[in-house]
Amino acid sequence: MSENKELVQGQESMVERRREIPVVVPRVDIFENEDEILLYADMPGVVKDEVRINVDNGRLELSGIRSGEACGAAKWEEFCDVDFQRVFSVPQTIDVNKVHAELKDGVLQLHLPKSEAAKPRQIEVKVG
Amino acid sequence: MWTRTTDLERMLSAMDLLRARLNNVFGEVERPRAPRYGWAVDEGLPRTNLYDVGDHLEISAEVPGLGREDLKIKIQGNYLEISGTRKSEIPEGYRAHRVERGTTSFTRSFTLPVDVNGEKVEAFLKDGMLRLILPKAETAKPRQITIS
Repeated sequence: MSENKELVQGQESMVERRREIPVVVPRVDIFENEDEILLYADMPGVVKDEVRINVDNGRLELSGIRSGEACGAAKWEEFCDVDFQRVFSVPQTIDVNKVHAELKDGVLQLHLPKSEAAKPRQIEVKVG
Repeated sequence: MWTRTTDLERMLSAMDLLRARLNNVFGEVERPRAPRYGWAVDEGLPRTNLYDVGDHLEISAEVPGLGREDLKIKIQGNYLEISGTRKSEIPEGYRAHRVERGTTSFTRSFTLPVDVNGEKVEAFLKDGMLRLILPKAETAKPRQITIS
């Protein structure tokens, strides 16, 4: 009887049966001006709540999970649920508190403002 | 004894996983069941899925960054054509470090497995995914046969 119980509660074996989501590298554009670094990443089908952005110690990690609802019999399938993931190195001069992002039409727009100290500064020459 | 069986099952599922990985290494031959993802770049055509849902077909395509006005959809009988353009320009005042997304322009045509009713097709665009609902033509619909 007790052995039987163990089999029923065998949660451990479920772990390996979890569906594997392939990891895909999203395509990105990176732009920069004096105030910020701007990053665009293609993440079709990803909703806002499934995007994770981590900035830590010069490392920027992007992750966006797409989970779709497939129904019916597949005639062909060229894409599936994926995890868009990519890691970048960013300069330490990024003001982490002001980083913000928008998601529009499946494109992530990430603004990485530079900290005040890192912005170019015009030095005025005084007449001595 | 029972725990042994679970152990065996676990080992087998691990082997299945390994085999799946190895299959991927050499490239999957089958088309429908195995979506393939390369590294960053592909041919520039949007990837699509097609499902048969009884009385209609459903096709979805990845079109990140395209708005409603950037897409054109043509249907005739069982012929479907999706075309679109995306202009990606460097935002004013910025300089580019890396441009992978680029400007794209594509036309992709499909031969659908059945004729569809072109007048009742519906198209939705959400989060960079285009979804088309294509009702089958009357002649192609599944029909219930009652036994007399």
